[in-house]
Amino acid sequence: MAEQQEGALTGYRVLDLADKKGGYCTKLLADLGADVIKVESPEGDPGRRIPPFAGDVPHMEKSLHFLYRHANKRGITLNLEDPAGKTIFKKLVKKADVLVETYSPGYMASLGLDYEALKKINPGIIMASITEFGQTGPYKDWKGSAIVDYAMSNTMITSGFQDGAPINLPGLASYDAASLIAAIQVVLSLYLRGSKGHGQYIDVSVHECSRIGLYPWMLPMYSYNINPGSPPPPPEGRLGAAIYPVYPCKDGMIRIVALTPRQWDALVKVLDEPEVLKLPQWREFYYRIGNAADLYALMIEFTMKYTMLELFERGHNEGVPVVPIYDVGGFVNSPQTKARKFFVDMDHPVVGKFKYPAPPYKWTGTFCGMRRPAPCLGQHNEEIYCGELGFSKYDLVALRRAGVA
Amino acid sequence: MPNTPLEGIRVLSFSQGAVIPDFGKILGEFGADVIKIESKEGMDFMRTIGADPNNIAGFNESNRSTRSFGVNLKKEEGREIVRKLIKMTDIIGENFRGDVMKSHDLDYENVCRIKPDIIYVSSQGFGRGGPYSDYQAYGPMLAAASGLLALWAHPTDPYPVGANVPLPDHMASKQAVVAALAALDYRRRTGKGQFIDMSQVEMAAGLIGEACLDYTINGRVQKPVGNRSPYAAPYGCYRCKGNDEWCAVSVFTSDEWEKFCKAIGNPPWTKDHKFADVVSRLRNVDELDKLIGEWTIQHGPREVMNVLQSAGVAAGVCQRPADILDDLQLKWLNAFVEVDHPVSGKRMYPAIPFRMSEVKLPPSRPAPLLGQHTAEICRELLKMSDGEIEQLKGQGALEIAAAKAK
Repeated sequence: MAEQQEGALTGYRVLDLADKKGGYCTKLLADLGADVIKVESPEGDPGRRIPPFAGDVPHMEKSLHFLYRHANKRGITLNLEDPAGKTIFKKLVKKADVLVETYSPGYMASLGLDYEALKKINPGIIMASITEFGQTGPYKDWKGSAIVDYAMSNTMITSGFQDGAPINLPGLASYDAASLIAAIQVVLSLYLRGSKGHGQYIDVSVHECSRIGLYPWMLPMYSYNINPGSPPPPPEGRLGAAIYPVYPCKDGMIRIVALTPRQWDALVKVLDEPEVLKLPQWREFYYRIGNAADLYALMIEFTMKYTMLELFERGHNEGVPVVPIYDVGGFVNSPQTKARKFFVDMDHPVVGKFKYPAPPYKWTGTFCGMRRPAPCLGQHNEEIYCGELGFSKYDLVALRRAGVA
Repeated sequence: MPNTPLEGIRVLSFSQGAVIPDFGKILGEFGADVIKIESKEGMDFMRTIGADPNNIAGFNESNRSTRSFGVNLKKEEGREIVRKLIKMTDIIGENFRGDVMKSHDLDYENVCRIKPDIIYVSSQGFGRGGPYSDYQAYGPMLAAASGLLALWAHPTDPYPVGANVPLPDHMASKQAVVAALAALDYRRRTGKGQFIDMSQVEMAAGLIGEACLDYTINGRVQKPVGNRSPYAAPYGCYRCKGNDEWCAVSVFTSDEWEKFCKAIGNPPWTKDHKFADVVSRLRNVDELDKLIGEWTIQHGPREVMNVLQSAGVAAGVCQRPADILDDLQLKWLNAFVEVDHPVSGKRMYPAIPFRMSEVKLPPSRPAPLLGQHTAEICRELLKMSDGEIEQLKGQGALEIAAAKAK
């Protein structure tokens, strides 16, 4: 791990009051070198209780969710509902550049810690609030969750087989979409602050962001299809199997996406030119979508003759995109993943050594990567309380005892 | 003081499909001058999936607020013009296939010689520096190669198919914007540019980071769980009254369970010890889901959502685009924008969801016609005369859209 290497955002400090809605936002900033301090209640972030756990034993330091989304951050405990805690938080805000929080609308204001109050302490502070539906509006107090947000995003209705129930996305993609859109605004605000000096308040609705992060084309496709004569497919059908077909092969499954006639011709070559695939109508993308079941029945005879890697490589050579369908293990062990060193060594004081998925990009001018594992609960209390805020070790013990830290 | 957040910043977009077009769109909506480099021969494939390259919904969404510069990169005269543009460019985004940029001498090393502080974002399916670095792949294939697709299924499905959604494309585009803006801020402070090499398959894997750690730490290859949660019940997508209508519901805590039971009228089965706590509910989840489905099927999805949300339980309609236009919250947020496109006319698009207290965004502009801004860019930025422009057009180096009426 490369704690000292400079990143593009090194020098900025971010206070993280973010649960699973915003953990990925502050992780993005931390990966780029920002000093992100996760501020947890003394009982710990609820994300520490999300299964599964390392070794399958529930433990505050072993949640895979927490280990994944809070790596590269430091962590302190602080009770924001305690008057002394509030005072300490304000001191932290004074020295911070960014605050990301995910409490329900109105909660920060109820503590006297809303943007209006905090910008009086630090006019340059950039505060982003990520909530399920937004700070205002008829649904502002509604509840969300990964599956509910995905359903409302207008993309879940397209998931799965045509006759089955729509299927939830694995992971927390709606939250990640909101986190990404929050991070864009935070970094833009830092950039603008450089010339203008002032901070900013950013209001992020998971509900609004999820459809844009997942598939912003749904509404335009609908809007374009309202006119008669527009091309199929109607956007709300569950067409994954038809548009991005999956076929069995000798040792697993592959996915083929031939969009253009040229790519279809290449695919026919990949499969050694079966006559039955040479009918001219198969060259048309929309014809293939409309007759996906027939095509599937024809195709499997030919795809079954090859292995995943054979088809992957033959597709590349002929000019049609084919990929193996990997499970996570297949991905982790693929030669590309290894060549790019996507998984890096992490050493966590409780979990021990393990491999961790790095950020999805490599930077040449500054370091972007893993600097430290997710913090243990209160791991950096001494560094921050004693090293920066002027408390003694005895003060810290007293704050701990009083339920403040 | 600039009027828009990125006024004065120029972006060249060598882009196709979704990732870098969407990247350019976002920067364009922030007020950057985003110029899409394209040509009839090297057309963004999204322009080719319908009858008219200027009338494709997906293209016209992902290329809003950008300008189109028609130039043939296979001609030295064309490349020379692009090099001149690069000298006045801050950010390059590219997701052309494999080594296409290099074949035009427009890779980072070459561009750096012309513009040393360039910020260059390259987004490839598999990323650089490995055996598959020049393999072409679209988003849904990268979901497949990352392990994500394998988890995106009901346990009973014969194979995973995911959705129409080309995940991770529109997430990768946003991650690329975060990178470009961070690099821009770094350049502001240090004067230094840089190269960012993004891998979309890694982006997809990052969406299931927990599953990656389950493998690397616990040695477990996770299996798809469909709409179930291993630690919450009820948790699912339930069929409602109507044609293919569904509502998602999630209940995590005892308090939410009590509210849920009350909201559906406290039917006797909710008192059964089989459903008394989360462990019991998870053990008897098939029966639980069946009983809930018997309630939801009697009501429209919006009614199910409203009844449960009023009671404090998370519930949401599996919305279609038409539902989205009626979504009260999205209406409140003005989350749609109507843009008038010279060929496609007035259409609805999702508004950029940026709500910043001190920033006013310029109005969204329609996606460009192929080569729509070639002449204007030549005149304004390159100070070329009409004669020069005509000559280069005649040589096939420049491509200029014919004026097109609605």
